[in-house]
Amino acid sequence: MQPFTLNYARPAVQLDVTTPYAYDSGLQLNVLPDGRIAATDHATLRALGTTTSTAGSKTHFDD
Amino acid sequence: MTVLILTNEEDVTADMVVLRLGEAGVPVVRLDPADLTTGVALSGEYVQGACSGHLSVGGRLVTMSGLRSVWVRRPGEAATRAAQPSAWLTQEASQALYGMLRITDARWMNHPDAARRARHKPWQLHLAQRSTLAVPATLITTFPQAAREFAERFPDLVVKPVSGAHPQEPPRAVPTSRVAPDTDFSAVAFGPTLLQRRIGKRADIRLTVVGDTLLAARKPADPDADPDDVDVRFAPSVSPWLAVDVPRRVADGVRRYMRGAELAYGAFDFAEDADGIWWFLECNQSGQFGFVEMDTGQPIAATIATWLAGDGDPDGRCAQGGRGAAS
Repeated sequence: MQPFTLNYARPAVQLDVTTPYAYDSGLQLNVLPDGRIAATDHATLRALGTTTSTAGSKTHFDD
Repeated sequence: MTVLILTNEEDVTADMVVLRLGEAGVPVVRLDPADLTTGVALSGEYVQGACSGHLSVGGRLVTMSGLRSVWVRRPGEAATRAAQPSAWLTQEASQALYGMLRITDARWMNHPDAARRARHKPWQLHLAQRSTLAVPATLITTFPQAAREFAERFPDLVVKPVSGAHPQEPPRAVPTSRVAPDTDFSAVAFGPTLLQRRIGKRADIRLTVVGDTLLAARKPADPDADPDDVDVRFAPSVSPWLAVDVPRRVADGVRRYMRGAELAYGAFDFAEDADGIWWFLECNQSGQFGFVEMDTGQPIAATIATWLAGDGDPDGRCAQGGRGAAS
């Protein structure tokens, strides 16, 4: 009784990524441990894929 | 006048816009509705024919009448991090927050009503047709026989979720997938199925629309790619996204779409075929943009910041995204 579309499902990739930045409520921005603004560190953002269209987002389907 | 950003704390893409607003000296209040009653508080009163209200978060206080715009980016469900969360409390908190925001004169990116409607892919496909965008032949059905007949007419098909959502129990992803010619369609009876003619693509296009500004990026397809690797989000990347001009006919269609959808922001996905035609696949009303900006250098965050600050889209023709008060 599985819907046709689910014949094409695959296990979701479980990303156990720990983001190296933390939210600073004063700045209203995420900040790296060395104090730099995370959004300016494109190398980190690329590595984490946190700004990327991912498909399968757990909470949002607006990728 | 303040820009209100509704999103979660981890949303580093929103940070790109917060930075631009800060550089422009525009006041910003950022909060996650999930924090209502813990870190976020609200109040509104309706007395003697007038109403007023305010929000506070992290020591910041903003009046409802002082809101310039509201950016609904990636908000959590209201009050889900409350001390004693419940479905009832979420409904109460959501009604209170969004109900009060709806009575402000702030313009929205995007208005919740427009956003909710715009998530429906069947509706998107029809609006794209009406907007004269090229739309691949598509069938959404629970009739196995309809699926079989469609497959006879269009032998090279892909299947994708109607909603764009993915099953969570257990967590699975459902990429756009190619349907083999001899496929048994009987399971179509067990759930609405979206079948679409596969576009033999030479590139993927991500077109980000902010107000009246169109910023397109193109990722060439790998000529040696497996033809079964249909979904760019799952296929290996062989090229960065590159900025590209938008064909005039597509630009006109996209602007019609944005007006019809009453959206101020949209991220369109197209497949470019061998003849250079851009085939509409979908429009995500809150689609990601950071990865495109980082690859192309296109000023998407700055354009969003400008729109939120009230200076974008000066002719006001396209996609106001700001339904009137009390909508």
